[in-house]
Amino acid sequence: MTHSFFGGVYPATRKEMTRRKPLARLSVTPQEIVIPLIMCADGPATPMVRPGDPVLVGQPVARRGQTGAAAFASVSGRVAAIEDRPHPWGGYSPAIVIQNDDRGDHYEGRPTPLDPRQLTLEQLVERVEWAGIVGMGGGCFPAWEKIARSAGKTDTLIVNVAECEPYVTADYRLLLERSEHILRGAQAIARCLRCERVVVVTEGDKLNAVEAVERRLRRSGNGRVQIIPVRTCYPLGAEKQIVQTVTGREVPPGGSAIDAACIVLNVATVFAIQDALFQGRPLTHRAVTITGGAVTRPRNLWVPIGTPLRHLLETCGGLKEEADLIITGGPMMGVALQSLEAPVMKDTNSLVCLTAWEHKPDTPSGVCIRCGKCVRACPMHLAPTIIRRALEDHDLQKLSRYHLEDCNACGCCSFICPAQIPLVETVAQAASLVRKGGASYDGQLRA
Amino acid sequence: MTASYAPKRMSPQLRQPSTTRAMMLDVMVALTPALGMAIFFFGLRALALTAVSVGSCVLFEALYRLLTRQRQSIGDLSACVTGLLLALSLPASTPYWVPVMGAAFGIIVVKQFYGGLGRNFMNPALAGRMLAGTLPMLMTTWPQPMQKLSLAAVDAVSAATPMSYLHEGSLPPQPLNIMFLGQRGGCMGEVSTFMLLLGLVYLLLRRVISARIPLAYLGTVAVIALLSSPEGISPPVWTAYQLMGGGLLMGAVFFATDPATSPVTPRGHIMFGVGCGLLTVLLRSSSSYPEGVGWAVLTMNCMVWLLDRLGLPRRFGIGNFAATRDKLAEMRASLAEIKFVRPQPDFKLPKPSEGQAPGEAYLDLLRSALKTVGPFASVFLATCLVIFGVHRFTDLNTARAEIQAEYEILSQAMPLAVVGAETPYHPAGALSVTAGYGEEGHLLGYCVSVQSQGFGGPVTMTVGVDLNGVVTGVAIESHSETDRVGTEALTPEALARYVGRSGTIRTSGSNSVDAVSGATATSKAITAGVNRALNIVANLDTAGEIDYEDTQ
Repeated sequence: MTHSFFGGVYPATRKEMTRRKPLARLSVTPQEIVIPLIMCADGPATPMVRPGDPVLVGQPVARRGQTGAAAFASVSGRVAAIEDRPHPWGGYSPAIVIQNDDRGDHYEGRPTPLDPRQLTLEQLVERVEWAGIVGMGGGCFPAWEKIARSAGKTDTLIVNVAECEPYVTADYRLLLERSEHILRGAQAIARCLRCERVVVVTEGDKLNAVEAVERRLRRSGNGRVQIIPVRTCYPLGAEKQIVQTVTGREVPPGGSAIDAACIVLNVATVFAIQDALFQGRPLTHRAVTITGGAVTRPRNLWVPIGTPLRHLLETCGGLKEEADLIITGGPMMGVALQSLEAPVMKDTNSLVCLTAWEHKPDTPSGVCIRCGKCVRACPMHLAPTIIRRALEDHDLQKLSRYHLEDCNACGCCSFICPAQIPLVETVAQAASLVRKGGASYDGQLRA
Repeated sequence: MTASYAPKRMSPQLRQPSTTRAMMLDVMVALTPALGMAIFFFGLRALALTAVSVGSCVLFEALYRLLTRQRQSIGDLSACVTGLLLALSLPASTPYWVPVMGAAFGIIVVKQFYGGLGRNFMNPALAGRMLAGTLPMLMTTWPQPMQKLSLAAVDAVSAATPMSYLHEGSLPPQPLNIMFLGQRGGCMGEVSTFMLLLGLVYLLLRRVISARIPLAYLGTVAVIALLSSPEGISPPVWTAYQLMGGGLLMGAVFFATDPATSPVTPRGHIMFGVGCGLLTVLLRSSSSYPEGVGWAVLTMNCMVWLLDRLGLPRRFGIGNFAATRDKLAEMRASLAEIKFVRPQPDFKLPKPSEGQAPGEAYLDLLRSALKTVGPFASVFLATCLVIFGVHRFTDLNTARAEIQAEYEILSQAMPLAVVGAETPYHPAGALSVTAGYGEEGHLLGYCVSVQSQGFGGPVTMTVGVDLNGVVTGVAIESHSETDRVGTEALTPEALARYVGRSGTIRTSGSNSVDAVSGATATSKAITAGVNRALNIVANLDTAGEIDYEDTQ
């Protein structure tokens, strides 16, 4: 039994390019691995190595200081430098550059695997923090904090395999190929958090993964875990929407899933957690989908974190035609890349190279014909076209009544607008205007 | 491949493929079946009218944009849609200038004056059509389908539309399947229910419109029709006729769903549809026109701003109960803001400022007060003067008294008559002949006004004669007889002696009315007058050349 949420859009998924491609390891590991210090939403980590130090696979290279998450070398070799490198979020930021020696020797100082039956909450939180696991679905929030805060306050663990972004199939392949590990990890987390229910939510376009998981669930006979396929709809994978879909509860304004007694973990996060718990392995690799109409051989790859994106593209045969836009993190919520030298991060689930015909290059935005599609698409119950009109009128009093802070920038309104009006930007602009009390408004709408 | 890419825009990087132009094109495609049916039914004239309408819409839009030096907007095809809708909502016998006028009003006044596409608050096509609808001759000629109209001259045989039967509370002669296919009188686009439904399905499948407005609209009309069918007609049949009759389906599918002039929120859509439905039923049943869809939609168009506010989705994450509570609290707060503010007039007298004589400040105050009050007072005075003048120079009391006197005379001369109407016939010897009608409106007789010479001067009297030639009464209008002498013959008792007489009345002998003693001359004058009247009426009746019944 699933519930539905208001709004949402149905972009063409185009997942058929990679959905049958198994997760493959890189045949040629990159010469150079770049591990950015900023891989966690709350700030940079503190480096533990100096240029010239030898490192092994799984050896910690950065630790959590005041901020940040621990980082580990994903290849063996030597630290070449700690310097500013292109960051996928834009601009340059300090990163640990490791020269790969292609030996792949593993680090010996790994912790012992834990026994699933005697796992405690403290052990779980400590191990997740040690492994440097952050939200791998694109949030990059520290997973250990979320788990620690959720303990005892939640009744449902939601494993998010919705992957509502078009093109991306990395989570789907991970669930299909590692379903046993994922289920084991989810069960262990649920036991520690005392969740009554574990729900694996996938979209309806992943039916053979659903079948694989169901077969495993039947065999293990654990009634606590269930998998529910949901109709494909963007942004199902967003936290508030997935909570509403599974439980029918709405997360109160300004709150998180915990306020609705749920904890939502991305499937890659769950896999990383179980790896850390039961194998004693830190987070060094992740699944990435390299796809898009411009890519010669779209693939799903299991890649060391820190691999430059250019190397991934070359592994897939490079570009067969000119890419109009290269994005990490999925075409809907993702960030347009400024440089292909940027590395794979802990939350990089895809590299999408869009051709001009897929991407529909910028056309001048037309006039609003008040079709209301944005209102019907907004999963946060906002009315972008009305907000836009109020912003044009510079009516602060009206704007402050529209709950602009609720906007989660999912982009449904911009996607659906037949006049190509950048509504996400408009709402963001209106929200910042309300926050500042209208002082900085220059009277001009950003086109 | 270069190493750096400048990010072009914020998320999302994908856009749905539809554009405004594509939406407009979809509406045109959806209207094509109805247009085809119109051409089939009404001949090439339908196509010619459509071409004129579309052409003039596009032309007016281009011209306006050119003259005001704005960016050309005919590329978004909205003007074409307006033209198509305007043409299809007109009868096929309409003269060619009508769509041109409608287009000018719709495009220039309703659409462009308010800022063009998306800013107009009324549907331009519907506004143009309803403007044309205010010309009565266009609203009453409905060509019969299959009567191929010539391209140039229009001599359409006017056919009663099904709506005029429904307006009277009876079923039209067309069976339901004809209503469905469309061989009936009506506007070009509205006749074929089937073709309009095809358009609706296309628009829904293409996601150009949502089903909420049409469903709410049609549903409201259907429910009310089901509950209020006239006696002797089965409710489902009545409902089906109501739904298929007139422009309801066309209005619900194409006019009410116009994006610019309908609410943007789902709840607003429902309220808009229900409002359209209620108004349509109201206008269909209680207005003098058989159809009310156009006015209903236009009226609701004007309420969209309100529905947009009312229909805002509730905030995510607070639940329906809390949302309602918040809304009520907000309304209560707004109501609390409305309070009576006691006027605090400031009667302080001004202090004389530097260099002014002691009384000058008061003069200034007076002058400024005069400046404020002056225009108002002068307008008020002028209005009073005009009213007074009109009152003074139109002698209403006299006019009223005349009417009253006429009625008095009628009631004396012919007590049974309630209405008198002057006939156009002026026989010799009579001042006027007035026909008297009874309560049920049938002719009772004639009142003849005659004059005869009395003792002191002429006596003017009105003699009532019924259709059998019998006197029903005598009324004296004016006389100049001597008081207490001649007037003895003018008393009601004296006059009542003539009632019931016929033929020629003598002053003595058989069929005579004796002269009143002391007023012989006056009595003779009255008898002569009555005789003349009887004679005139007898000749009126025997003449038989003029149909007096018709003169009313």
